[in-house]
Amino acid sequence: MIQIKNLTKSFTSVSKKGFKKETRTVNAVNEISFECKPGRIFSLLGPNGAGKTTTLRMIAGIINPTTGTAIVDNIDISRGNDEVKKRIGFLTGSTGLYERLNPDETLDFFGKLYRIPPTQLSERKEYLFEKLGINDFRKKRLGQMSTGMKQKVSIARTLIHDPEVLIFDEPTSGLDVITADSIIDLIRESKQNNKTVIFSSHIMSEVDLLCDDLAIINKGSIIYNDTFQNFKNEMKADNLTQEFINRVKEA
Amino acid sequence: MREIFIIIKKELSELLRDKKTIINSIVLPTLLVPILLFGVMKVTKIIAENESAKTVEIGLANAPEDFKILVSTDTLNKISTYTGDEDFKKLIDNNTIQTAIVFPTDWNTQMDSLETSEVLIHRNGSKDNVNGRVSKMLETYTETLKNSRISKLQIPINKLTPFKKSFVEVGEQKELIGKRIGGFIPYLFILTMWGGCLLAAIDLVTGEKERKTIETTLSLPVSKFKILFGKAIVASLLGFIPAVLNLLGLIIGLKLIDGIPDTFKVAINEMLNLQSITLILLLLIPFSLFLSGFIIALIAGATSFKEAQSKATPLIMLIILPLVLAMMPGIELTWTTVLIPILNIGLGVKEIMAGTIDMFQYAAILVSLIAFAVGAIYFSYKKFSDENAILK
Repeated sequence: MIQIKNLTKSFTSVSKKGFKKETRTVNAVNEISFECKPGRIFSLLGPNGAGKTTTLRMIAGIINPTTGTAIVDNIDISRGNDEVKKRIGFLTGSTGLYERLNPDETLDFFGKLYRIPPTQLSERKEYLFEKLGINDFRKKRLGQMSTGMKQKVSIARTLIHDPEVLIFDEPTSGLDVITADSIIDLIRESKQNNKTVIFSSHIMSEVDLLCDDLAIINKGSIIYNDTFQNFKNEMKADNLTQEFINRVKEA
Repeated sequence: MREIFIIIKKELSELLRDKKTIINSIVLPTLLVPILLFGVMKVTKIIAENESAKTVEIGLANAPEDFKILVSTDTLNKISTYTGDEDFKKLIDNNTIQTAIVFPTDWNTQMDSLETSEVLIHRNGSKDNVNGRVSKMLETYTETLKNSRISKLQIPINKLTPFKKSFVEVGEQKELIGKRIGGFIPYLFILTMWGGCLLAAIDLVTGEKERKTIETTLSLPVSKFKILFGKAIVASLLGFIPAVLNLLGLIIGLKLIDGIPDTFKVAINEMLNLQSITLILLLLIPFSLFLSGFIIALIAGATSFKEAQSKATPLIMLIILPLVLAMMPGIELTWTTVLIPILNIGLGVKEIMAGTIDMFQYAAILVSLIAFAVGAIYFSYKKFSDENAILK
């Protein structure tokens, strides 16, 4: 379960003009609130620069909110984000992998830091390697792998500690249909296992396939937040993409 | 602590799989000093051999017969005789001759009357080999003339020698050499340490940004301080190891390379004993941590290797300047200089190698370096925690 209440993130930039210093504060995310429930997939959609990544980074405990609260799996992120991080699997376009390690070493590194007991870590690793078809290249360095192979390993490292909350930001971006399908499958499985899933994508067909609840964020504010079924019922455009574009433009 | 070890292990495995790191941090530091020593010895030997085998074209004017005989005893000297009215500058400039020795026309009369005469030597001050050989010849000739005058005047030699200088060396050879070259040694390994720390710190911080893994690292359930501390330890290790290898290379080089004077070898062996090496290495541990902390703080906001390098490179002036100061005569280890980082290492190593280090001052250097290391780590932690800088 994720509960977001009035979450705001401000960034302050200092620019120099001659001898004068100018300080500018911008709200990347402005008092947003939403809720993601276990056993449901929550889609957070928004155009580039809308504040999506900042929101996800705050939920994952990577950056601290300026004001507001975020409760992840009953833990307030302001009370210790390391505890929150243990409960989250975080995968975005900017969570790359260590290129000089191989998949085995990568998962061992993450597993140890998540304090997974050795036997359990080994079993979980074997399960994920089998499920994602990583066994063939488990000893190959990540720097020598294709985008698809790397993404599979990224998914495996996100799931290694079997987190209660999963955040996937464009997990299938740049992947072939077969690899994308196996990842979609894993996200579905997480939902069946009663995990809380935040899924963000620009591929509307995937949103249509997975989404239970939906929020649209634009210029740092939530402009839509309801169930996906209600969104579809209220649709005025012919397709999801057009409806999304219209909603952002109208906001 | 467990998390820090896991991070150190991972960062070290990553860095040591990079060829660039292996070459810069292990291969080069180990081979640098032996190659330098071997190269310098070999080149000096070759130059000396070549110089001594070179023919010197000497122009002589009004030279007495005995001097001509002295010059011609060295078969490498080629003599051209002149009247003394020629433009010797021109002759030297166009390489007809390399030097000219002009005696006065009444040389023999002046010598017979035991007067002080004047010999003009036309020379180019930059031709060390030619000038050296001519000076040597003139010294020999002066000595011969002096001896002949003494015997002519029937003066006993001891009457012309009021006293003889006999030096009684109270300082050990180790102290003498230690004070002279002790300042050069930290110059060598601190620069190696700087290079190692810089490359590692850039790879561990800016490299993570370039490879898009910094967010992955920050998503780990480990505090930013532990991540930063792990990285700083690895960067300092990658600075410390090359410095140790550098020292090792120096010891091996001195043992294996021929041509180094035995007295020098003995003194160096005495200086680089287990005790002095331990004392030097103990100073380098907090210093490497200080360097890596400081570099990480400087480069935390950089987004590319190039930007990080340009941000950190000016720092080298702050390292070279105190090291140069430490080599200058008159700058000694005092209760003030023990607190100035880098300068204290330079002066401290000099004293350690000379065997004259005051252990209280040594302890003060160590404590001040630890304090600086703690300060640098805190400073880098502050920068590393700055969301605007680290997630740029």
